[in-house]
Amino acid sequence: MLQQLTNLSDKELISRARKLRDLEAEGVLFERYSHLLVAISMPYLNNGPGTTPEEMYPVILQRLSNSIKTQTIPKTSEWIHYTVKALNNKSERNSPFFPSSESREVQQVENSVEKAGNNLLEQQQLVIKIRHFFSQLDADEKYFLQQFYTEQKSFAELAAAKECPVEKVRQKLREGKQKIASLMMTQTDGK
Amino acid sequence: MENNLENSNKILKTFSTIRCLNRDQLPRYLDGRLTDVEKHLVEQHLVDCDLCYDALHVLQQPQYRDKYQSLSVSIQQYIRNSIKQVSHIQKAERYQRKEQKKESLLIYFWIVAAIAIFAGGIYLVQQGNRFRSLSSKPLASSGSVPTIQASNREEVKQQSVSSLPVPRPDTAVGQAGIVTPSPVPVKESSVKPVVKKDTLKAAPVVSKPEVKTDDTTVKKPVVPVKPPEDKEEKKATPVVVQKDSPRVVKEKKADTPEAKIVPKDTHKDDDDKKPAPSAPTSTDEFLYKAAMVYHQQGDLNEAISRYKHLSTSNSKYGELARYQLAVCYRSKGQTGKARRMFKEVVNMGGSMKDKAQAALDNL
Repeated sequence: MLQQLTNLSDKELISRARKLRDLEAEGVLFERYSHLLVAISMPYLNNGPGTTPEEMYPVILQRLSNSIKTQTIPKTSEWIHYTVKALNNKSERNSPFFPSSESREVQQVENSVEKAGNNLLEQQQLVIKIRHFFSQLDADEKYFLQQFYTEQKSFAELAAAKECPVEKVRQKLREGKQKIASLMMTQTDGK
Repeated sequence: MENNLENSNKILKTFSTIRCLNRDQLPRYLDGRLTDVEKHLVEQHLVDCDLCYDALHVLQQPQYRDKYQSLSVSIQQYIRNSIKQVSHIQKAERYQRKEQKKESLLIYFWIVAAIAIFAGGIYLVQQGNRFRSLSSKPLASSGSVPTIQASNREEVKQQSVSSLPVPRPDTAVGQAGIVTPSPVPVKESSVKPVVKKDTLKAAPVVSKPEVKTDDTTVKKPVVPVKPPEDKEEKKATPVVVQKDSPRVVKEKKADTPEAKIVPKDTHKDDDDKKPAPSAPTSTDEFLYKAAMVYHQQGDLNEAISRYKHLSTSNSKYGELARYQLAVCYRSKGQTGKARRMFKEVVNMGGSMKDKAQAALDNL
């Protein structure tokens, strides 16, 4: 059973956990992201009462387990990241996870690309649109996107070329991508 | 053209979905042990995924890197253990649910079965009561008992009357027989079984003294005359006596005069030296009275079967039996059969013709 569940996507596991109250599916999903969860929560370990690994991780998992039944989860990674951060930064504890509009727009474009699959006509239409909106970006954003996706340069190479930190390269790439996605969704009405 | 296709594929990859870094990729990326293609894919994913980017950022610090492996393994083990427990609990819950469902289904089944049995029992009791009321009403209330008793009396009268035509020529002889006492004991001995039978059948209590008086003279000759009938009668008489209800006793009391009358007739018959014709009538009479007893007790089916048996007889009991058969059918609600039987009685033109006609008109 576990072997079969590991082959399912995040969406399928979440739907099983919700509809069928399948705790095994829930466990498989948490196990899939457990190493990342451990990694991002490590800076908060042993910083005060109830922050030992034995205490903190069960609390995080319990919180995720409660949240999975009520939250809208378009992207699992975002949901886990938000929940862990919210738990550790106690000021944001009570605000529920809600995906940002940029994130949703990017996801919608990703879904349309995935939907196009091997259909060349749809792919061409999408390429035309992306190129059209790509031309509307800033020069910096155009440079980073072109070098990263077309020339397949790494973060480090781009950072070295522009003499900026990797974080800024990532930020520029992210902004450019989100702009294209939002333009596609607003100006073409998502079609 | 190929360049265009490659470029378009690369542009589409800008928005391709890539999974988060797995347990293996994370340290390899940090150590720089990924291939160029793999590294680029990871970085494509890192553009959008804060979780993976933060995880890499944290793990780049050596103090966290050391603890990471052990903590990662322990949380994985913790999740697996919890899944195992949960899966066991879930399995147990599912099994319990199934069992509960089965049990509840069984309970529903037995409840429905019990209700059905209870309803069936009530229905049967009601039917039984209705049948009893139907069977007792015509006998007890509508004057069927009196009619039967009256019919009994009539029978006896008719018996005396019917016995008259046959022995009429003999009556003179009988009268003569009275004058000449010498053959009487012999003739009485040959005929008296009839008297005995009647008394036994109709009114054993009342007729005892007569029987006693007759016993000395009669009992011995009875055996050679009609042994099988005697046996039948002796077998049947206790049944009649046992089944006697107060009504029957009353009837017997009412019948006693008949019994008294019958012997007189039999005496006449005895005088006629013709015991043969009297024997079948006495058997019919016995059967008729037995049927009457069943009829009065409300056992209509048994009474009907006996009346049917009697109805084939050519004696007057045949007519009476048919009449009673019609009464039985009427009380059972089988008016068609009752009407037919009454008509038969009317067609026979016997003594019951008027009564049958009246009953037919009432039907």
